[in-house]
Amino acid sequence: MATHVDTLDHEHYHPPGLQHQFEDMKQQEESVSIGMWMFLVQEIMFFGGLFTVYLVFRSRFPMAFAAGSNHLDAFWGGLNTLVLIVSSLTMALTVYYAQKGNRNMQVILIALTMFFGAVFLGVKAIEYTGKYNDGFVPITGLNKKVRADAHADHAAVAEKPCYEVEHGGAEHAYVNPRGDFQWTDCSLVKLAEDGKYLTDAEKVGYFSNGQIDPNKFRDKVRIFFWIYFVMTGLHALHMIVGLGLMTWLGWKAWLGTYGPDYYMPVEMSGLYWHFVDIVWIFLFPLLYLLGRHFMH
Amino acid sequence: MQNVDDMGTGYYDRPKLNYLNNGHTIKSWLLTKDHKRIAIMYLISVSVFFFMGGLYASAIRLELLTPASDLLESGSYNKAFTQHGILMIFFFLIPSIPAVLGNFLLPIMIGAKDLALPRVNLLSLYIYWIGGGLTLFALLQGGVDTGWTFYTPYSTTFSNTYVMAVGLGIFVNGFSSILTGLNFIVTVHTMRAPGMTWFRLPLFVWAQYATSLVMILGTPVIAITVLLLAIERFGRVGIFDPSIGGDPILFQHLFWFYSHPAVYIMILPGMGVISELISNFSRKKIFGYEFIAFSSIAIAVFGFLVWGHHMFVSGQSVYAGLVFSFLTMVVAVPSAIKMFNWTATLYKGSVSFDTPMLYAIGFMGLFLIGGLTGLFLGSMGLDVHLTDTYFVVAHFHYVMVGGQVIAYLGGIHYWWPKMTGKMYSEFWGKISAMLVFIGFNLTFFPQFILGYQGMPRRYASYPPELQVLNIFSTAGASVLGVGLIMPVIYLGHSLLFGKNAGPNPWMLPGLEWRTSSPPPTENFETTPIVTWEAYEFGEESGLDLEEARRREIARTY
Repeated sequence: MATHVDTLDHEHYHPPGLQHQFEDMKQQEESVSIGMWMFLVQEIMFFGGLFTVYLVFRSRFPMAFAAGSNHLDAFWGGLNTLVLIVSSLTMALTVYYAQKGNRNMQVILIALTMFFGAVFLGVKAIEYTGKYNDGFVPITGLNKKVRADAHADHAAVAEKPCYEVEHGGAEHAYVNPRGDFQWTDCSLVKLAEDGKYLTDAEKVGYFSNGQIDPNKFRDKVRIFFWIYFVMTGLHALHMIVGLGLMTWLGWKAWLGTYGPDYYMPVEMSGLYWHFVDIVWIFLFPLLYLLGRHFMH
Repeated sequence: MQNVDDMGTGYYDRPKLNYLNNGHTIKSWLLTKDHKRIAIMYLISVSVFFFMGGLYASAIRLELLTPASDLLESGSYNKAFTQHGILMIFFFLIPSIPAVLGNFLLPIMIGAKDLALPRVNLLSLYIYWIGGGLTLFALLQGGVDTGWTFYTPYSTTFSNTYVMAVGLGIFVNGFSSILTGLNFIVTVHTMRAPGMTWFRLPLFVWAQYATSLVMILGTPVIAITVLLLAIERFGRVGIFDPSIGGDPILFQHLFWFYSHPAVYIMILPGMGVISELISNFSRKKIFGYEFIAFSSIAIAVFGFLVWGHHMFVSGQSVYAGLVFSFLTMVVAVPSAIKMFNWTATLYKGSVSFDTPMLYAIGFMGLFLIGGLTGLFLGSMGLDVHLTDTYFVVAHFHYVMVGGQVIAYLGGIHYWWPKMTGKMYSEFWGKISAMLVFIGFNLTFFPQFILGYQGMPRRYASYPPELQVLNIFSTAGASVLGVGLIMPVIYLGHSLLFGKNAGPNPWMLPGLEWRTSSPPPTENFETTPIVTWEAYEFGEESGLDLEEARRREIARTY
C-alpha cells in the first residue's frame, strides 16, 4: 500500500495492509470504521429525504396510498424481506470467518450473500414487470402499450369511469395505447365517497364540484407509485453497488487477503450490506403493508 | 520551547525535498494522495470557477448600469444571475475554505502525516471536477435560468433550459463536499498527534469540524432533492407538480433544509480563519477559546432548524413562521459570541496590520453588517416588505463575500508563505485588501438602500429614479474586480521572484509554523509531541515578531 510516489520514508517498516499515513493498525481500523459510519449517516440523510416525502404525501392522501399499496404483492415483498435477512446472516458470518482467517468459508458465504442479493433483484424485476404490464408506472410511455384494436369489443368499456367497470374475468378491458399510467381499480373511491375517513387534503384532492373524481383519485395513486419506484429503485441501485462490492470482496477473500490481522474491508462491506437491508426493512411495511386493512 | 533562531526568519534554505518538488510528472499530481497537492489542485480549480462566476457578476452589474434592459434581454439576464449563483455557491464558496485551506492545513495543524483517508480525498477532487465539468457543459449548451434555487414548478415544468444537466452537476458535486466533510471528521477524531487534545486544537480545526457536520448531514438532502427534481423533469410527472396533487412548497422545504445550513458551510470556515488571524496578529491567546469552539458547533446545530425563514411568504403556516423566526434570532447568539470574543482578543493585544489582519478586520465590520441585516430579514413582519428585494441580495453578499471570500483571501495571504515557501509583496497585498474592502462596500451598501426602496431582485430593468445608486454599485464592482484580480498577479509574481519565507515568517506558535515551508510530503520530520496550548504567546516562548524583524533587517543590510 505504501508504494506511491509521495512516500518519503521507505526505510520504515509497515505491516501488510497498513497505509502510510497511520502509525499502527489500531489507528487505521478506528479511522476506517468512523469513516464508514459517517458514510452511513449521510446515506440515512439521503434516504431520509425520501422518507420525508413519503410521510408528507401519505399523511395527506392515506386512502390513495392504501389503494396503491394493495396493488403491491405482499408475498413478493415478504419473500424479499426474508431473503435479505438471510443474506444479512451470511454476511455477518463472513465477517466472523474473516476474523478467524478461514478462507473457504469466507468465499462460500460471500457467494451465498451474492446469491441472495441476486434473488432479491430477480424478485424486484418480476414485480417491476408486473407493474409495467398493468400500467402502474407513473411516467407516461414507460408502461406496456396495449392498443384498442387488440380487444376491440372491450374498448368502449375502458372509456367509462373506473368504478363502473366490472372487475375480474373476461369483462375486464384494458387499453393503453400510449403507455399511460392506468388505474382501473376504484374500490377505494367508493369508500372515499363516504367521507368519514377523509383527511382535509383528501376532501379537496379527490373531489370536483362536490362529486368524487376518479381522475383526481388516480393522480394521488400515481404519486404513490412515483414514490414507490423512486424508493425501491434507489434501494435496488444500492443493492447493485453492494453486489459489485461483494464481487471484489470475494476475489480478495479467494486470494486469502483477510485474516485475524486484517479484516476491516470485510467488516466495512458488511456494514454497508446491513445498512441496505435495514432500509428495506423500513420500505417493506411502509409500501406494502400499511393501510391494507382498508381493503380487508 | 523554541526560540527565534530555531523558528527561523527567512535565512534557511528551502528543504531539498518538499511536497512540491517530490515528483514532477503530471501523473505524480493526478494520482497523488498528498492532501497538500490535492489542496493546490483545488485552489486552482475553485479560482477558475470564481473568475467565471465573476464574469457573470460583471455582466449583471453592467446591465444594471441603465434602467432599461439593454445590454442583456430578460432571458439572458435570468441566465446570467442563475449561473453566477450556481458557480459561486456550489463550485466556489462551498469548497473554497474547506477544500483548499482545510485540506492543506487541517492535517498539519493537528500534527498528522495526511488526512485519514487520502484516497477518498483524491476521489472528492475528481467528483468535483466531474460535477463542475457537467455544469460547464450545460452552461456551454445554453445554460439555465431558474435561479440557483430551482424553485418548482418553474424548474420542473416551464423552464426550457438545461435544468437536468446542471442539476446532475450539482448532485455529483455534492458528494465531493460530503467526502471532504467525512474525511475531516475522521481525521480530527483519529489523527491528532500525541498531546494534541481537543481543547488544544486551533479554532480553525473546530470550525472545519462543525462545517463537516453540516456537510455530512445536509448535503445528502440536496442530493436527493435535486434527483427528485431531475426525475420529475424527465418524467413530466411527480411530487412537486401541483396539477396532480404534488406540492411545490415541499421542494422549498427540502431545498432550504440543505441550503440554509449550506450558508453556514459558507461562513463557519471563514470564522475559523478569522479566529486564527485575530489571535495570531494580536499576538495574544484568543479570548474565550471554549466559547468560540462550541459556538461553531452551536451554529452547525441550530443552522438546521431555521430553514423556514426563507419561506415566510411562500404559504407556510404563520405558526411555523413564528418558530422559525424565533430560532433565527437564536442562531444569531453564537455568531455574536464569536464577534465579542474576537473584539475582546484585540483589546490590549499587540496588533500588527499585515495583509491578512487587514482582511480579518474587514471581515469583522462586514460580517457585523451582514449578520445584523440578517436579523431584519429574520423578523417576520419586516421580511414581508424586504423579501426578494435587493436588501436580501446585499445581506447575503455581506455574509458570503464580506464573510467567506474576505476570510478566504485573508487565509490565502496568511498561509501563502507556508503553502509556497515564498513571501508576496506586502505593499501590494495591503493595497489590494483596501481596494477589496472599499469596492465591496461601494458595491453592496447601496443595494441595502435600493432594496429598502423596493427594487426587486432578479429583474433586468428598474425604475429610472433608482439609477444613481445602481451606478454607485456598478462603480464599486469595478473597484472590487480590480482588488480581486491583483492578488493573482502579485501572488503569481511571488512564486517566481518572492523571497524565501522560512518556516515561520509571522513568528507564531501553531504547529503548521513548526515545519519547513513548503512542508515535506509527510508534513513533519518526526511526529510532533504537543506540549503547549493553542495560541500560546508569551515572553518565554520567544515569539517576538518585532524583535525578529529587527534582526532580519539588521542581517539584510
